[in-house]
Amino acid sequence: MIINSILSFEFPPINELLRWRDVVPGLNKVGLIAIASALIGTLLFLSAARKDPKVAPKGTRNLAEVIVEFIENNIIMQTMGRDGLGWTPFLLTLFLFVYLCNVPGIIPFIQMPATARMAIPMFLAVLVWVVFNAQGIRHQGPIGYFKNLMFPPGVPKALYILITPIELISTLIIRPFSLAVRLFANMLAGHLLLVIFALLSEALFQARDKILIPIGVFPFFMLVFLTGFEVLVAFLQAYIFTILAAVYIAGAVHPEH
Amino acid sequence: MLTAFVYTNSFSEVRVSFDVVSAETGSEEGVPVGTGPNPISPEVKELVWGAGSFIVFLILMRLFLVPKVRKGMASRYESIQADHEYATSTRDGAQADVARYEAAVAEIRNEAARRLETARQTLDKERSAKIVEVNAQIASRRAEAEAEVAAARAAGQSQIVTAVTAVTTRATQIAVGVSPDNAVVTRSVQQAMEGSRS
Amino acid sequence: MEALSKIVTAAAEAAAGDEKNIAAAGSAGFAYGLAAIGPGIGIGMIFGSAIESMARQPEAAGMVRTTMFLGVAFTEALALIGFVVVILLKYA
Repeated sequence: MIINSILSFEFPPINELLRWRDVVPGLNKVGLIAIASALIGTLLFLSAARKDPKVAPKGTRNLAEVIVEFIENNIIMQTMGRDGLGWTPFLLTLFLFVYLCNVPGIIPFIQMPATARMAIPMFLAVLVWVVFNAQGIRHQGPIGYFKNLMFPPGVPKALYILITPIELISTLIIRPFSLAVRLFANMLAGHLLLVIFALLSEALFQARDKILIPIGVFPFFMLVFLTGFEVLVAFLQAYIFTILAAVYIAGAVHPEH
Repeated sequence: MLTAFVYTNSFSEVRVSFDVVSAETGSEEGVPVGTGPNPISPEVKELVWGAGSFIVFLILMRLFLVPKVRKGMASRYESIQADHEYATSTRDGAQADVARYEAAVAEIRNEAARRLETARQTLDKERSAKIVEVNAQIASRRAEAEAEVAAARAAGQSQIVTAVTAVTTRATQIAVGVSPDNAVVTRSVQQAMEGSRS
Repeated sequence: MEALSKIVTAAAEAAAGDEKNIAAAGSAGFAYGLAAIGPGIGIGMIFGSAIESMARQPEAAGMVRTTMFLGVAFTEALALIGFVVVILLKYA
């Protein structure tokens, strides 16, 4: 008897999952999602800004105001205090862009978070790095900023041998690195989880062996559950990215006393 | 993206592969399986598109959209605040009016009570005065009546005395033949009557 | 049962085929598992303490929540770096 119709399920290599054909030369799906995110955010706020502010907000204006208030109350006020309210546009843009790049990971038929590629998280992390260092230099002066960075006050002199390199590395290297990697790895891991369960359930549903078909229900349920989980993760990662940016900027503007 | 492989037969490696979204992934014929971008290193085109769209988005938000939305929110909050203050002041005014009205009502009520009290006191005074007057009249009437009664009794008594004296005088005249002294008879009769009375 | 036996046979045949790949995959999985231990414990502790403090002082819940997410973000980074390193080992 020929042993056939065995479900030998081979997971494709990760780089193959991330290979997108260019829509037009030099623009692939990730770039398209990034453009769409910026466009959706712009349209949302454009539509909100065009509405009469005096009447009770509804629709897009209500949504935009909820986002603005979320940024102001839950991110800026918690980390930077009242002085940081001028950072609303930057942090709002950061949050909205990251969120709108995360969310396609769970939208059916798109199912690719743009942040699951290193480009956008790396760019945003570098941007945040540049912004908080520039703010630190602007508010404390270049010497004062690096002095506070390398020799944090209130530490015994002998400990500076240990603390100075740690602080320097952690602020200038680990911070942008972890900021980028956190977002990227979270989204990539979530994407891979979804792909694994999608492929597994599809392979099981299409198996030659009829016994295997009902088993495909389990990975499918897992897929649905993880999609719901990814909704949470998409929001949470955007929130964490923004709040960390706010914390870094606040730390550079007001050094620890 | 979703390129999965079901090996129908793992020995002969006849592979039935199905591309879920082969149109998008670009896993067209000729491209060797297992190639693709490095999953970690960023791609320049993605970097450029992502950075460009983010920067455009940021500039639009920073310069136009957020300030406008924020200004609208602030103006609405201000108008709500102004409305609220207006409502508060109106309510305070209304409450002051109510307080004034209530004060006036209380004053009038006090006044009414005071007048009522005065009237009652006046009335009481008048009534007691009238009562006193009436009592006095009654007393005088009673005194008069008593005087009249006393006078009548005295008159009656004197008549009786006169009659008894006359009778006694006549009886004595008939019996003794001598008419007694009128004064003596009268005194004795009076003594007898007073003695019988007492 | 038939399906199970088929899978087991297939797995055994595959194992004979490319032992090296399987060893690499196994060690990668092992590496990620090790990388996840510490952050797992850490995140558990952070959430536990946060819940406790929120229950004790519900009025400070907003501040606690923000700080909790910050702590989770820092702790979680270790596990995610482990995940990235596993991918790096394979592709870089």
